[in-house]
Amino acid sequence: MSADHLPEHPDFLWRNPDPKKSYDAVIVGGGGHGLATAYFLAKNHGMTNIAILEKGWLAGGNMARNTTIIRSNYLWDESAAIYEHALKLWEILPEELEYDFLFSQRGVMNLAHTLGDVRESIRRVGANRLNGVDAEWLDPQQVKELCPILNTSDNIRYPVMGATYQPRAGIAKHDHVAWAFARKCDELGVDIIQNCEVTGFIKDGDKVTGVKTSRGTINTEKVGLCAAGHSSVLAEMAGFRLPIQSHPLQALVSELHEPVHPTVVMSNHVHVYVSQAHKGELVMGAGVDSYNGYGQRGSFHVIEEQMAAAVELFPIFARAHVLRTWGGIVDTTLDASPIVGVTPVENMFVNCGWGTGGFKGTPAAGLTFAHTIATGAPHELNKPFALERFETGALIDEHGAAAVAH
Amino acid sequence: MLLISCPNCGPRDETEFHYGGQAHIAYPENPNDLSDREWAEYLFYRENTKGTFAERWVHSTGCRQWFNMLRDTVSYDIHAIYAMGQPRPDYPADQASAPGLAPGAATPASSATTPTSSEGV
Amino acid sequence: MAETATPAETANVDHVRAARRSPGQHLAEAFASGSVPGTVTLTEIPYQTMVGIRVDRESDGGARVASLTGGLPAACGEVTGAGSINSLWLGPAEFLVVAPEEAHDSLCGSLVADLTAALGSDPGQVVDLSANRTTYELSGSRARAVLEKTCSLDLHPRVFKAGTALATELAHIPVLLWKTGEESYRVFPRASFADFLGRWILDAMREYASPEVP
Repeated sequence: MSADHLPEHPDFLWRNPDPKKSYDAVIVGGGGHGLATAYFLAKNHGMTNIAILEKGWLAGGNMARNTTIIRSNYLWDESAAIYEHALKLWEILPEELEYDFLFSQRGVMNLAHTLGDVRESIRRVGANRLNGVDAEWLDPQQVKELCPILNTSDNIRYPVMGATYQPRAGIAKHDHVAWAFARKCDELGVDIIQNCEVTGFIKDGDKVTGVKTSRGTINTEKVGLCAAGHSSVLAEMAGFRLPIQSHPLQALVSELHEPVHPTVVMSNHVHVYVSQAHKGELVMGAGVDSYNGYGQRGSFHVIEEQMAAAVELFPIFARAHVLRTWGGIVDTTLDASPIVGVTPVENMFVNCGWGTGGFKGTPAAGLTFAHTIATGAPHELNKPFALERFETGALIDEHGAAAVAH
Repeated sequence: MLLISCPNCGPRDETEFHYGGQAHIAYPENPNDLSDREWAEYLFYRENTKGTFAERWVHSTGCRQWFNMLRDTVSYDIHAIYAMGQPRPDYPADQASAPGLAPGAATPASSATTPTSSEGV
Repeated sequence: MAETATPAETANVDHVRAARRSPGQHLAEAFASGSVPGTVTLTEIPYQTMVGIRVDRESDGGARVASLTGGLPAACGEVTGAGSINSLWLGPAEFLVVAPEEAHDSLCGSLVADLTAALGSDPGQVVDLSANRTTYELSGSRARAVLEKTCSLDLHPRVFKAGTALATELAHIPVLLWKTGEESYRVFPRASFADFLGRWILDAMREYASPEVP
């Protein structure tokens, strides 16, 4: 068969432009958060002479590696507000972006396995309701009804004593989300520049005026950092510090199966979170490696422990085969909450510290970070997530709701 | 899986150890004199080096002793293991200075004392 | 140890013995039926006297303690002692003295009191840890093969020699592993892990009850 017989390549969703000499704003990082930020900068603030610089390929970092869970059942008011806003945006974005990225509101359960878990969970359900977040407390029987494959017997090391349940939560197809944002960004005039690594920043005093890249120097009025696990590296280039530690976080998928798992199940205590992707794979998240790491891989015992826990909770998984495992670099903070706001460098802004839960926050991160970049001041929603909270002590401790040990 | 050479016990699996974060952070001499910024730096800010990083580990299911380690946070290669209280060795400038055993430490049971690392599957 | 026990002491000893339950006691039958004589056997040696020592072995206090225990080990793996009292190396200044149950002060022995007196007011500590761990003895020609199913240490006899002991993990459980003979190991799990580890080892032994497939 010769090339003549190949069909026409379908339309590209975005152009592949060369970088211009200057932009009104440059976003560093072409993952979900960078794309969402650029989209809202263009749509809400009319800033279309902007570029997204991506070191590798579009959405090839944590956006390609996460377990796609979307929920907003966080404990504190500040978190509930920003994650719930994100969830509301998820609900309208398929239409707004004119792209069905398979957002499936199949509900998320957070299991409780100890009396401590039960108390904490019921407290969180109460807090969620006060904040307008849909949340229910399920007893073990209701858990079993919603997810029949779960082992709810008493005969396991950590029996299921109940669960919080958020019906509006769910999953989405992560790469479709990236493509949806990328296409709209491109339509709005945003330059998406891949294979363009940032190697330094040009500063005039304390003010950033440009970006040095592997594809030349780019002058810019403003810089927004959306680089997740590499945020500290960029901050160091720019001359400031971030209270971030980067850790490998692993996940895995099974081969394809008939639909067996109707919802999303997360367990802090035995450390499992699992859903079944649209295609049929069981998608499971494992834990972070304890050590700092930039390698997009982790230690095997973390996977082993995760599998042991998964098989105990879901006995039928014992016959499933692992198709592949992988790791991403997550940017953790001491309070398991993100940092979105201004930096000590004028005209440079940072969006990082989303740790293990950045995917669900994508639309709200984009919306609030775009507002911060465009106006120079934080949006009401990201005001509490300022870098300065580590000095004032106004931490937002979400270790309980963040689900993965930070 | 990292294979870590405990200065006392020789090479053991990573699961026998606990991580202690960045090494060589001294408790402030006069905490009351610090500004909020300085206190925050001490409390919350740690280096997040991409590359050779000095960090603390403790052999929690073995000899329960702390030690320092120079490790590459990208390749996960372990370059040196040295005693608590010792200054950070030069790396890679001074690779000749034999890394590994803490001075005065007992002879490890195993003959393999050269710090090595191997990653799991 | 007292030469002869008074009637009151004997009554107390009987009371202590009757009141005890060892961490692996409920598994005794399973251990017996799961053992394959001549190939691999598992038994619990309950109630051994164990005393945790923290002392600088080079100090005077260390020397006094060592004179009671028949020395203190100098390095990882070493076990010192003579006869029924042995000391295992836990750390550079931390040791575990292991002795038969009769050595315990509650059974008319005096090991804990003697060690406490030997250390005196010198820096260090002597702590009765007899109830902290139990002892499983795994022996037979397949004992090493059973351990190798979970232990990441090199258990080959050219590396792990009889008469040495290491702190490590078996089935994710922290244990002390003491090789007492060429085909004999003593495993010290903490009491709360004893049930789990006992069942784990039993499971690992099962295949050796079947005839070997040629």
